[in-house]
Amino acid sequence: MAAPPLKGIRVADFSWVWAGPYCTLQLAHMGAEVIRVETARRPCVTRMLPPWADEKFGLNRSGYFNQYNQGKRSITLNLKHPEGIAAARRLIEKSDVVAHNFVRGVMERFGLGYDDVKKLKPDIIMVALSGYGATGPLSSYISYGPAQVPLAGFSALTGYAGGPPMHTALSYADPNAGVHAAFAVLAALYHRRKTGQGQFIDASLWECAAALTTEGLLEYQMNHREPARRGNRDPWMAPHGVFRCKDLPEPIGGGVVDTWVSIAVADDDQWQRLCRAVGRPELASDPRFALASARKHNEDELEEIVTAWTAQRSPQEATKILQDAGVAAFTCAANKDLAEDSHLNRRRFFVELDHPEIGPRKHCGIPWRLSRNACRVQAPAPLLGQHTDEVLTRLLGYSAAELAKLREGGALN
Amino acid sequence: MAGALAGLRIVEVGEMVSAPYAAKLMADAGAEVIKVERPGIGDPARRRGPFAGDQPHPEKSGLFLYLNSNKLGVTLDIASARGFALLERMIRNADVLIHNLAPPEMDRIGLHFQRLSKANPKLIMTSILPFGLDGPYRDYRAANLTLWCAGGASYLNGSPQHPEKPPLSTFGQQAYYQGGAHAAVATMGALLAGLGDGAGQHVEVSVQEAVASILEMTFAFWPYVGMIASRLGQKPIQPLEVMKCKDGYIFICCIEEHQWHSFVELMGRPEWAAEEIFSDRLKRAAHWDALRPLLEEWVGGQSVHELYRQALERKIPFAPVSTMGDLLSAEHLKARGFFVELAHPQAGRYRYPGAPVKYSATPWEIRRPAPLLGQHNREVFVGQLELTETELAELDKSGVI
Repeated sequence: MAAPPLKGIRVADFSWVWAGPYCTLQLAHMGAEVIRVETARRPCVTRMLPPWADEKFGLNRSGYFNQYNQGKRSITLNLKHPEGIAAARRLIEKSDVVAHNFVRGVMERFGLGYDDVKKLKPDIIMVALSGYGATGPLSSYISYGPAQVPLAGFSALTGYAGGPPMHTALSYADPNAGVHAAFAVLAALYHRRKTGQGQFIDASLWECAAALTTEGLLEYQMNHREPARRGNRDPWMAPHGVFRCKDLPEPIGGGVVDTWVSIAVADDDQWQRLCRAVGRPELASDPRFALASARKHNEDELEEIVTAWTAQRSPQEATKILQDAGVAAFTCAANKDLAEDSHLNRRRFFVELDHPEIGPRKHCGIPWRLSRNACRVQAPAPLLGQHTDEVLTRLLGYSAAELAKLREGGALN
Repeated sequence: MAGALAGLRIVEVGEMVSAPYAAKLMADAGAEVIKVERPGIGDPARRRGPFAGDQPHPEKSGLFLYLNSNKLGVTLDIASARGFALLERMIRNADVLIHNLAPPEMDRIGLHFQRLSKANPKLIMTSILPFGLDGPYRDYRAANLTLWCAGGASYLNGSPQHPEKPPLSTFGQQAYYQGGAHAAVATMGALLAGLGDGAGQHVEVSVQEAVASILEMTFAFWPYVGMIASRLGQKPIQPLEVMKCKDGYIFICCIEEHQWHSFVELMGRPEWAAEEIFSDRLKRAAHWDALRPLLEEWVGGQSVHELYRQALERKIPFAPVSTMGDLLSAEHLKARGFFVELAHPQAGRYRYPGAPVKYSATPWEIRRPAPLLGQHNREVFVGQLELTETELAELDKSGVI
């Protein structure tokens, strides 16, 4: 296998929480050396959030941080200290990409805005992720991924029929902006390889998310109405839903007993297959259900019939029967289902590296494979400041004495 | 100034969302994309809508128009021997093939990397597949809903007040969008590697895995503490909740403690806010049943935009629940030039989401509307592949194109 595509590329990563780290995670997966610049005075929010391994709080024990910072290194710098800024500038001089997700003005106040870093490294690529973007009337206001979900239109469109707008549970705007920003950084690296030119990339969580509500935006323009929330139903397919299965014999994992299976019948052929698979062949020619338009018209009744069948089975059993018949169905998977899934394990999707503080734990790995380049998670997520000494001495050229002085002066906390 | 990917040639054999979105991201950054559709039928997204007046028309589907602007469109029956040979000729001229035919379809047609890389050893072939190229579920049928569930996202969303209601999927084919966006990333990795040694390769993306990659902290709850993260359980921190105002809905959001303190100030320091059980974000989550009605009562008396404005000024990251109308008229998005108006010869003029990300040196741009079915057959087959007009007419007559 050839080396990973970004081997030799260094990323000075000033980002935190989730959007920026998800962007730089993609780059780390491709072999870039991603150096997270953290501060001990205000650790990354995700280090402070649960779950902490074995329910013991610790800055290096959070599954949230450890999932999204795999393969990166961590140094601590005090960016309110002139020597901390000086070290950051030396890091940027040796980097190809600078990433951050501060609101507009923060990096500029550190003297690390794009105009500043361009002077340090003329072909630098800087990517800034923020809720509202780097320009426009709201650009100086702080925002977070969870708030950008409703702001981008997802809540107005998501919810049970007749019910209020709902969140997506996930802070979807964060990883979504992260993956779009990662694409942009890679496109910019491609351009730089061809022309030598770097650039500034402005990624707004709001816009990255709003780009994916197109069906709603066009519905509004074409028909002058706000789309109705419709639960799990689809405008064309039926049945199309998440159906209750047999309860677990006893509660697990903190009290869960209910289980569910998703089923999406794309056309009349799949409907006939479903009818045979659930032992109701007579329904295939029943005029209430034979055609998609009729199934949409009688969807409440249709869903009752499907639920009567699923409720007698586990989601895995229902999935197997329906898939064997050629019908799209899958368990509505919980974290435990994923972790134990034979398919994902067979594909070696999970990564279980030995973390110095909490040992080996299962994390989600890389959702793509390159046949020629060995992309793999290079290391577990770093401890806070784990690589400060190594990076400052070996990479940035500080002597041991200088390092001690920086530490004493408070530039490294 | 040209886009970052100007000069790249991409062939897309894509249907619905995932492969078309991956190719769109690259087309909008300057790549030339030729989309291959089935003769006479075309991409199923053409039948998806939304449609003006709810009248289906293959050239007027909102989803198709959005996902396929900037592309040339040809029709080609790649399941036929002659069609496949033409695809191979197209691939000889291309840098990348992006497709989302499922593995059983790939087998049926013979769309395999080993075969195509013989036509072009530098080819990067990106396969966006429901469950990947191997493993027990390789041939499973899938839909966006089943993949959002298979990746673990649906299970997390719902209403603790209504445990009888099912886990709730997010609007709008998000599993496929994530499959597409992650595929664009992976394809760029292969392209960058190819700049070094000119070698092609096969890029594989599993939509299930792309969804499982964005589960926030919820996946870790199992390996870290043996807990199932469920829609019925408590959130790790609060408040993070959609609430009703007197004139609409707002998202109440305090991540950092100082944001909560500012919110308490904004509410006029109610007495209950001083209680120990609400003193930090974890405790507020644990006692959410007590806190929720107190907040709901106060928020219910506010107006959305006044509360949003006051929150922003105090650096509290609330946000209104935007309707589609709100988005299309948002001043901030207007000032950033987000929406792009595009005229299509049959569908007419609409505003589409524009650049998700702005580049300072290489423009993001829309150069043409989505293709009519088979619109560029002559341009591609005669102009690029140098078929004669007679051959073109014959292929048309025999149903190959």
